[in-house]
Amino acid sequence: MSADWLLYHVGVNAFGERTQPLLQDINLHIEAGKMTLLLGHNGAGKSTLLESLAGLRELAAGSIRLGDEPLWTERGKKRINRAVIGRIGIAMQQSEAQWFASTVREELAFSLRPYRIDGSEAEERMQAAMASIGLELSLLGRDPWTLSGGQQRRLAIACLLACQPDWLLLDEPTAGLDTEGIQRLIGMLNEYRATGRGLIVATHDLESLLPIADRIIVISDGRAFETSPAEAALTMGAAAPQAMQGEALLRNKGWQGALSPAGITQGDGEAQWQSPEELALLMAAELQRKSNGETRIQSRLVSPRFAEEEMLVPEESRLYAHSADSESSSGQRENRQPNKEIFYDPRALVAAYLIVTAGLLSLNSLIQLAMGALIAGGLVLPFRKQLIPLLPIIRGFLYFSLVFILIGAVSMQPFELQWSKSEPIAIRMLQLWLIMILGMPLLALMSPIRLQRGLEQTFGWMAKLRVPIHSLSLLVMLIFRFIPLLMREWVRFAKIVKARGKSTARGNGIPLRLLTYLFIPYIRAILRMAESMADALEARGIGQTSVRTTQGFKLFFTRADGVMILVAVAACAVLLVVRFWL
Amino acid sequence: MTHHAQLELKHISYAPISLISESGGDILTDIQMTVRHGEWISILGMNGSGKSTLLKVAAGLIRQGVRGSLHRAGIGRDKPIPIVMQHPDAGLIGSTPWEDVVTLLERQGVPAEGIVPLAEQSLKNVGLINRMHQPLETLSGGQKQLVAIAGCLAAEAPILLLDEVTAMLDPGMTSIVCSHVRRLNQQGTTVLWITQRLEELMPSDRTLVMSEGRIVFDDSAGELFRRASSGEALGSPGELLGFEAPYAVKVAWELGAQGIELPYIPLTVNQLAEAVSWYER
Repeated sequence: MSADWLLYHVGVNAFGERTQPLLQDINLHIEAGKMTLLLGHNGAGKSTLLESLAGLRELAAGSIRLGDEPLWTERGKKRINRAVIGRIGIAMQQSEAQWFASTVREELAFSLRPYRIDGSEAEERMQAAMASIGLELSLLGRDPWTLSGGQQRRLAIACLLACQPDWLLLDEPTAGLDTEGIQRLIGMLNEYRATGRGLIVATHDLESLLPIADRIIVISDGRAFETSPAEAALTMGAAAPQAMQGEALLRNKGWQGALSPAGITQGDGEAQWQSPEELALLMAAELQRKSNGETRIQSRLVSPRFAEEEMLVPEESRLYAHSADSESSSGQRENRQPNKEIFYDPRALVAAYLIVTAGLLSLNSLIQLAMGALIAGGLVLPFRKQLIPLLPIIRGFLYFSLVFILIGAVSMQPFELQWSKSEPIAIRMLQLWLIMILGMPLLALMSPIRLQRGLEQTFGWMAKLRVPIHSLSLLVMLIFRFIPLLMREWVRFAKIVKARGKSTARGNGIPLRLLTYLFIPYIRAILRMAESMADALEARGIGQTSVRTTQGFKLFFTRADGVMILVAVAACAVLLVVRFWL
Repeated sequence: MTHHAQLELKHISYAPISLISESGGDILTDIQMTVRHGEWISILGMNGSGKSTLLKVAAGLIRQGVRGSLHRAGIGRDKPIPIVMQHPDAGLIGSTPWEDVVTLLERQGVPAEGIVPLAEQSLKNVGLINRMHQPLETLSGGQKQLVAIAGCLAAEAPILLLDEVTAMLDPGMTSIVCSHVRRLNQQGTTVLWITQRLEELMPSDRTLVMSEGRIVFDDSAGELFRRASSGEALGSPGELLGFEAPYAVKVAWELGAQGIELPYIPLTVNQLAEAVSWYER
């Protein structure tokens, strides 16, 4: 029997954020030898919880233990406890996109590497893992990318099984599997549980997995609630297994007599729902009894359309209750309020930036530069929030500059450091550093469409000279859309590789030794993403070159823009005064 | 609702140019399809059966390599009809819903003064008016799909062409997107809805099943699972085409065996409940 999970007041924040909790105050005791389902709509925090258990997310609060072992070492510098992550295997969503090796065997060997298992034992484990998930051994020599989608998903799980972990953490394991694949998966999950090891599965597929679950944890708005399979089923609305909805239908019609005597679930999670034939027999009996004129129960009249799921479960108790304009719908916790910041005219921003930059560049001693730093700091102060995520870059550039200054100071004969030699370098580098800091909030202050419009309004006349200015400005918008997606993919693959390599590195960092395993799947994913984006944009009619584009709105200089430029001019004037009189 | 054809495909076959020399390289074979104003057509079929290709040909996005004749009624019939695809992130270009729809209209050359009101009206139609200035990355997958649909509405697409738009959504978001599109259809918008999920169908939907580039079934969704009355052994068209009958369908069959004929074959338990209510009256 393996150890249980114990979570005390666990809180997890979004990366680089201090105020937006993805999970808060989670207290759970997850037992080994059982299958625990995590339910909740997209964005509720199911995946975050799984990743936190696997050490892929740092905790903002609380602690996680596996039996006696803490997941994060408590003394000294915070590190992940290798003893814990070695005992778990996690398969994240779309983990089938992770392959980098040229054969299935090498992929399995990579997963086994952190356990220092090779030779005949490794071979045995690989074969056992392949067999238990229903993959033929002949596939071991194949290129993983040539397997079908379903086979690739199973291979991802085989990679976990080969390591014989005490715990399996699976995120949407049934997605993309056909009926047969799901049957195999369920067989494997049952076998795994029977050996006393534990399973935690995040899923929407209640039809397949609810019948074999022992415990249910519902994640909603970043909090976790425990419930029984029967109770959970009642709150699931349209997502509940159809058989369960059948039960609800009978109850709703007041045909209590027709309910199966056993109820919805029995004992240790072994659900016993009525087969369609049983349900039909019960219904037929009721209908015939009624048509014979017996107690006529008022049945609910239902409008022919749009009765869809409105009738089975009261609105407020539904797990998947959404409405497009209610604030409680999914993914909303990660929200900021709708952007209320004032957007400046991009042209004004660029002009103001150039003016201040000119002032900064005119400075030529360290004392003047110190004054310049004060002024630049004052200008950036209102936008300091935008700088927080960029602090590592600012710090990085400063270290980089210091190294340069140091190298510049070295003189060889005799070997010594001379300040006089490196002072000009120091001035230049620090000037650039200030200009960089000043430039950083710029992009956050203009939205892509306004930047695009600024470009078009400033350079639109060039279209007459056959400069493809409208295509270029579209490109600007695309880049804005693409960069966050690129970063998201990187984080996703970094997590997969770290989980497989059992890396103990914190946060988003990835150890150098694992980097090579990350590149191939990452580049592949980006190419595929670019292709599907090009496809979808074309299908939506954005790429039509034949039509003349129009402008639905235009930018105008506002008071705020004027004030900003005046401030910039004033700052520049002060800098020039400093330059010539100090 | 007028009943004359809005889109007509006659003897349409399609093979990519590179494959045309080989025999049997057709992705679509002899497609006959008429789409009437205000119709809802669900298109089912396995992966690779040609559903998406059919949609692209119907939209006018694929022209090369298409044989047969394609007729579209109404103005702007040469302009391709936009399609919304399954990946919520792929097709959007703006950083907010408002920016996205406005940019789309600008790119299509809609007269400048009408763009903003048109964009806002169509976002209102899909229930996103309160979120139109919210950053896109804070919207759920379902809301992103609604933004893309709003773009089609704003661009005055004659037909909403939706290619598995719910494939990547959770059950709750799926039902939101479904009910919005159903409402648009009731207001008169023609919809072509490709899906893999039988539970998204209504019994009265006109349903096409594609297999190996051909349309092999064209009737209502309810008929897809009606077993021939002569004998159970024959099986319904749906079973013959390899679909697993949903739970509610099996209940309806068994009820039929007990002598209770429902007015139509329900595909979900909720539709079963309605059908039973109708039967009781």
